[in-house]
Amino acid sequence: MTEADDQRLLLAASQGDRAAFDGFVRRHEDAVFRLLQASASCDADAEDALQEAFVAAWKNAGSYRGGPSARAWVMTIARNALRRAHRRRAGEPADFEPIGEMGLQAGWGRDEALEGLARREVLERALGALDGEMREVLTLRDLEGFSGDEVAEMLGISVAAMKSRLHRARLRFVSALREVAHG
Amino acid sequence: MVDLDREVAGIRCREVLELLSSYLDGDVTESEKRRIDAHLLECDHCLRFGRDFAEAIGALRRELRRSPALDQDVARRLRERLAKE
Ligand SMILES: [Zn+2]
Repeated sequence: MTEADDQRLLLAASQGDRAAFDGFVRRHEDAVFRLLQASASCDADAEDALQEAFVAAWKNAGSYRGGPSARAWVMTIARNALRRAHRRRAGEPADFEPIGEMGLQAGWGRDEALEGLARREVLERALGALDGEMREVLTLRDLEGFSGDEVAEMLGISVAAMKSRLHRARLRFVSALREVAHG
Repeated sequence: MVDLDREVAGIRCREVLELLSSYLDGDVTESEKRRIDAHLLECDHCLRFGRDFAEAIGALRRELRRSPALDQDVARRLRERLAKE
């Protein structure tokens, strides 16, 4: 299955082909839900957004015009659904801690070796310790493997802002890894 | 005493730290790359931290990339919801 297959499935779906849309859902639901779980504060929110996103994708299949990959397209819809759900809640404070501080916390200049790198549950706990925005950018870039340009587009921020957020997220991840593995 | 503002090979540790992700992603300019490479040859702190950092991101990608499939109940409820449209 390729990007061209996605385009065909969505075109067919836009003409009411339910089986084609089911195929599209099967192809992307895992990745979309992983992203939503990474961003949402609880699984129930993630699941609501998952449903809302695929309902919207079904209704709007005809408006997909290529450009970003179909997966990026449906992930963008999903993120917007989640954001709408969160709009009334207090947002997390923006994190503008200086990079130097974050580097020191992540262990720059210290002698203790980093441990736990081969242990999945340690990595998962470290990832879980990040705030939603940081987990989201790490998930998209390092786990789902989207390009920097695609991630910036999905997050609706500039490429420079995406890079800055990604770097902070990675530094925080290393700090969290130290805390989880040593603490 | 460790000092992030120490300059080695024409670039401070703090700047190396700031560029680390871009360096790993192959996203620095030729001249930045040359200066960082030279810095890492002489600066133990940055070399060790850079290695830890790269290994941590590598482990994250390797170990967690294949995340488990969607929970069967979540998948079923999604289909039930879509069936109403
Ligand atoms: Zn240095």
